[in-house]
Amino acid sequence: MGKIEWAMWANEQALASGLILLTGGIVGVAGQFAGWQFAAYGVAAGVFVCLLEYPRGRRAKGTSVERTGQYCLTVCVKAFGPITRNYYVRAFLHAALCVPGGFMLATVLGCVCLGIASLIYLLAAIRGEQWLPILPKTETREKPRESIKEPPQNPPPRPPADLRRKRLEDVEGAAYVNPIPVTGSED
Amino acid sequence: MAVSWRSWTANEGAKHIVLWLSANTVLFWKTFTLYCYGPQYYYLYKMLGLGLCLSRASAAVLNLNCCLVLLPMCRAVLAILRGSQKVNPWGVRRRAPKCVGTFVKTIFLCVCIPVVHVSAHLANVYSFSLLYSEEFPSLNIARHKGEVSWCVCFAVPGVTGVLLVFILFLMFTASSHGIRVCSYEIFWYTHNLFVVFYMVLLVHVAGGALKYQTNVEDHPPGCLGSNWTGGSDNVCRAEPHFQAHFPQTWLWVSGPLCLYCAERLYRYVRSCGRVTVESVVKHPCGVVEVRMLKSGFTARPGQYIVLNCPSVSSFECHPFTLTTCPTGTEATFGIHMRVLGDWTERFVELLLSEDSAETETLPVVQRRTYPKFYVDGPFGSSSEDVFNYEVSLCVAGGIGVTPFAGVLRALMGDWQHYKLRRLYFVWVCRELGSFYWFADLLCGLHQKLWQENRPDYLNIQLYLSKTEALQVCVGRQYQALSARLQVGRPRWPELLDDIGKSNKDKRVGVFCCGPKGISKALHQLCNSGRSCGTTFEYNKESFG
Repeated sequence: MGKIEWAMWANEQALASGLILLTGGIVGVAGQFAGWQFAAYGVAAGVFVCLLEYPRGRRAKGTSVERTGQYCLTVCVKAFGPITRNYYVRAFLHAALCVPGGFMLATVLGCVCLGIASLIYLLAAIRGEQWLPILPKTETREKPRESIKEPPQNPPPRPPADLRRKRLEDVEGAAYVNPIPVTGSED
Repeated sequence: MAVSWRSWTANEGAKHIVLWLSANTVLFWKTFTLYCYGPQYYYLYKMLGLGLCLSRASAAVLNLNCCLVLLPMCRAVLAILRGSQKVNPWGVRRRAPKCVGTFVKTIFLCVCIPVVHVSAHLANVYSFSLLYSEEFPSLNIARHKGEVSWCVCFAVPGVTGVLLVFILFLMFTASSHGIRVCSYEIFWYTHNLFVVFYMVLLVHVAGGALKYQTNVEDHPPGCLGSNWTGGSDNVCRAEPHFQAHFPQTWLWVSGPLCLYCAERLYRYVRSCGRVTVESVVKHPCGVVEVRMLKSGFTARPGQYIVLNCPSVSSFECHPFTLTTCPTGTEATFGIHMRVLGDWTERFVELLLSEDSAETETLPVVQRRTYPKFYVDGPFGSSSEDVFNYEVSLCVAGGIGVTPFAGVLRALMGDWQHYKLRRLYFVWVCRELGSFYWFADLLCGLHQKLWQENRPDYLNIQLYLSKTEALQVCVGRQYQALSARLQVGRPRWPELLDDIGKSNKDKRVGVFCCGPKGISKALHQLCNSGRSCGTTFEYNKESFG
C-alpha cells in the first residue's frame, strides 16, 4: 500500500550495522583474538559508516524527522555532492566495506548486517531515490504593506446598535448604506 | 517546575518499571555470582572466565524479558482484566494496559542485552578454542586446541544465535519512529518475524554447549590440582561428570507464548463474525462515520476495535475507537474515521462508492455494496477509567475526541449510576468544522443535564487553535457550544488551577488523547504540585 521509501529503512540498517561492526571490532581488539587486525578495521569502518549514515535524508513526501544534532554532519555529507547523494554509490561502498569484516568472527555480524543494508540501498537506488539534506528553512519576512504602516485615522463607519440589530421580519428595511465607502482587502 | 512528591507517586510511583528493573538486576546478579562461584561451574569458569558469567547472566535477563514482552501484547486478556472490577492491586488496572509503553521498555532490554550476550559468547568461542581442555574433553565444544573459531561457531547455538541477531536487527531497524511514520508496512511485516524469532530461540537454547558438573560431592572441584587445600581425607573419588543444562528458556517462554497463541486464536475466531454496515455518514474535515452491526458484539465506552479489510490490504489492521457502543436497546456500534493515509483513503472510497445500477427501479432504492471487512475487538484503553473517578478531565486534540465521544454517549444514556460526578471536557481543534462531528451529542448532553438540574456536571471548553483566516460562525442550534468556544490554545496551568480550586482535596483523573505536546505538558503539570490539595492522576491514551 502506498509508495515505500526504502532508503529510510536502509539508513536505519546501515547505522545499526555500523554500531554492530564497531562493537564487534572493539571486542576483537580488546580480546586480542586471532585476526585482531580485522577487528581494528571493523572499528574504523564502523565509525565511518555511523558518521556517514547519521544524518537522515529528507523524505520525498511528508515531514522528515531529523536525528538529534545531525545538522553538522548533514553539512559535511552534503559537501560531497553526488557521491553521497547517489544511493548506488552508497550501496557499492557498503558492500565493499563489509567484506573485510567477514574474515573474523567478532565482526561477521556487522558484515552481514551491512551487506543487507547495502542491498536495500541498491533497491532504493533502482527505484530512483536519492539523499537530500534536511536543512532548516530560511524564513522570508514579508515587507509590511502600505496600508498597515499607519494606524487607522477614523473609527469604522457603523450606524447605531439598534439599527445594526438583525431584523428577520424586515430584511429589506434592516439594510443600510455605509456613509463612508468601505473597501475590502485585496489580498 | 517543582515536582510534588504526592502527585509524582500517584502518577509514577510504585510503577511497574521499578519492579521490573529490580527483577532484572537481581536476576543478573544472582546468575552472575552463580557462574562465578558455583562449584558445579568451577572447571567451566576456569576455561571461559568472565565471558561465561556475563553470557549466562545476560541470558537470564533475556529469558525474563522475552517472557514479559509478550504479555502487554495480549490485548484481549488485558481488556478482560481491565473490565474486572475486582482486580486492582496498586492500581494495576490503571497501569497494566499501557501496552505500548510497557512493551517498549521491555524491548529496550531485549535489544541492549543481546549486545552483552553476543560479545561475551564471542569471547567464549575464542576461549573454547585457545583453552581447549585436555583433562576434561567432554567440557569442550572445539574438537581440538586452536580450532578455528568459525568451526566452533557452526554448532547449533552458534548458527541459531546469528540468525536471532539478524532477525532482531531487521525488526529493530524497521521500528524506529521515522520508519513507522514513513512506511508503516515495513514495520508491520518485519515485526511479524517475531514468530520465527521465538521458534529459533527455542532451538538456540537446546544446543547444550555449556555444561555443569553433576558429581560435585564425589569430585570436589579442583581436587586434582597440586594446590588442593581440602585436606588429606578429601580425595577425588571419581572423575568429574559434565552434563548440559535443561533449557530453562523453555520454562520461561512457554507460558506467555501459549497464552499469546491462545489469545490470537480467540481473536481470530471472534473476528470472523459477519459485520453488516448500517450507514456511512460523511462529516466535515475528512471524517467519515461508519455504523455497523455484528452479532454478539459488546463493548464498553472508551474501548477500540481493529479493522481489517482484505479488499484494501490483506494484512493491515487499523485501530479505531468506538464512538457509539452497543447498548441494551441498540446493538449498533460506530466509529469515526479520519481520512489520513492510503489505507483510510481507499477504505472510505470503497465505502462511499455508488453501486452502478443498470436499471432504475421505482421507488429508487440505492443498494450499496460495502466492502467486506473484519472487526477484531473490543480492546481496552485508559479512557474506560473516566467513570472511576468522581472528577475527570478529558482533553482531546482533533480526532482524539473519539474515546470521549463514547463516554459522553454513555452519560447521555444514564449518567446517574456512574461514580463520576463532574466532567471537564476540553477539546482543541484546528478547524471549526471539526466541532460539528459531535456538536449534536455535546449540545444534547448539556441540555439533558441542565434539565435534570445538574448544570455543573459537564463543563465544556472548546478551543480553536488555528487563528488565521478566522470566521467563527456556529449554527444557532449550537448556542451552548459557541458560548464556550475560545480562539487560541488553552492555558493548561490556569485550567488545572481552576479545576483544583473547584475540587479541593479530590483525586482528579486526567485523560488525554491528542498530540504529544499536549500530553507531555499535561503529564508534567500533573506531576507538579498544584494548590488546594487536589491530586491529578494522569492517564495517557495510546493505541497499542
